[in-house]
Amino acid sequence: MKKLNLTKDQIQKLSLSTIGFVVLLYVYFSFFLGPLNKSRDSMLASINDLQRKVAGSKNEMTKASNLEKQASTATTRFAALKALSPEGAPIAWFPPRIKVFFANQQIDKATARLENSSVYKDADLSGWMRYSWFLDLPQTDFSTTGLAIAALENSEPLLSITHLNIHAIGDDPQFQQVSINATTAIMKR
Amino acid sequence: MALHLNLLHEEILEQRQRQRDPLKIGMMVLGALGALMIVYYLWNAYKTLEIRNRLSAVQHDWSKVEPKVTAAQKRSAELNNIISTTKVLDGMIDGRFFWAPFMEKLSRCVALNAQITSVDGLVQDEGKAVIVMIEGLAAGREPRSAAEELRQLLLEQLGQSYHEVKVEFKTLEDLDTLVKIAGDNMAMARFALSVTFNPSEGASKATSSPPPRGRTSK
Repeated sequence: MKKLNLTKDQIQKLSLSTIGFVVLLYVYFSFFLGPLNKSRDSMLASINDLQRKVAGSKNEMTKASNLEKQASTATTRFAALKALSPEGAPIAWFPPRIKVFFANQQIDKATARLENSSVYKDADLSGWMRYSWFLDLPQTDFSTTGLAIAALENSEPLLSITHLNIHAIGDDPQFQQVSINATTAIMKR
Repeated sequence: MALHLNLLHEEILEQRQRQRDPLKIGMMVLGALGALMIVYYLWNAYKTLEIRNRLSAVQHDWSKVEPKVTAAQKRSAELNNIISTTKVLDGMIDGRFFWAPFMEKLSRCVALNAQITSVDGLVQDEGKAVIVMIEGLAAGREPRSAAEELRQLLLEQLGQSYHEVKVEFKTLEDLDTLVKIAGDNMAMARFALSVTFNPSEGASKATSSPPPRGRTSK
């Protein structure tokens, strides 16, 4: 093998070339190829993510469509229950409604008074409030009261009577005084 | 044999030395490597451009689907909320204690020689227990027996619809006053009955039929 005799000048030039080569590699990988690969990787990740979302969205829409069919009974029922809570503050519409209701049942002088209201602890009823009412029927009779209570329990499904007191009026024993404590679930408006 | 003289050997040597110049060779190698790198970079750039096009196509697809998906998700959440709320409300409705059937049964139990003066009922433990205090008067040759008949009838009637029925006298006392029933003077007794029962399983739904007759007062 032929021995390579390099002069001092040539060694300097060779060193300079090596340094230039290293600098070139550094610049190439750091400022050209590196950012390009990084950008490509992030775009691939975005594509995968979006493709997963698109695939998932088909499932989501199918599920929503199936749920819509399954929930038709519940939505109808919910709409009916919601319709029992008119717009406005319950104190404004509930007492007149009760008064009209009992008047239609031949019980005059019915009064309804709000005792208190509270929120439900159940998270599913976060949109509803519990109202406690005191209903006073100062003069009625047992038969009419029974009829009226049956009608009330049937027409107001969200009303629950918690306390019922019927007692004869001293001077006029054919009549009774009735007081009712009832709770209602009313939608927050 | 002809003599061959190389008069340009110095120039030829210099030329050979120039050709073997390491800087020149290094520059050539660097140039070749640089060209390779540029080609590789361009190839990568082309690939990246292709991926960018794919990304924009997928983004376009997603932008078309996204509003529908968001609406579907919102509707699903709304429907689930409606279903669970309706379930809870239905549970509340079904768990109510209906007073009208109780009043109907009570009115059926009161005979002509008895009068109920007060009924005080309370629903406890979210509809799992009902406590009713009934006060009244009974008349007859044996007024206590008339009151006992009422108690037994009430126990029997309520037992048909409710569970764990208990009907007990709290007080039962004779009164000095007499009452005229069908032309005969009858003795009277005052009674107070405590009625407790569990309506949760056997409670019947409210019916639109009213109590057939009122008996709390004569």
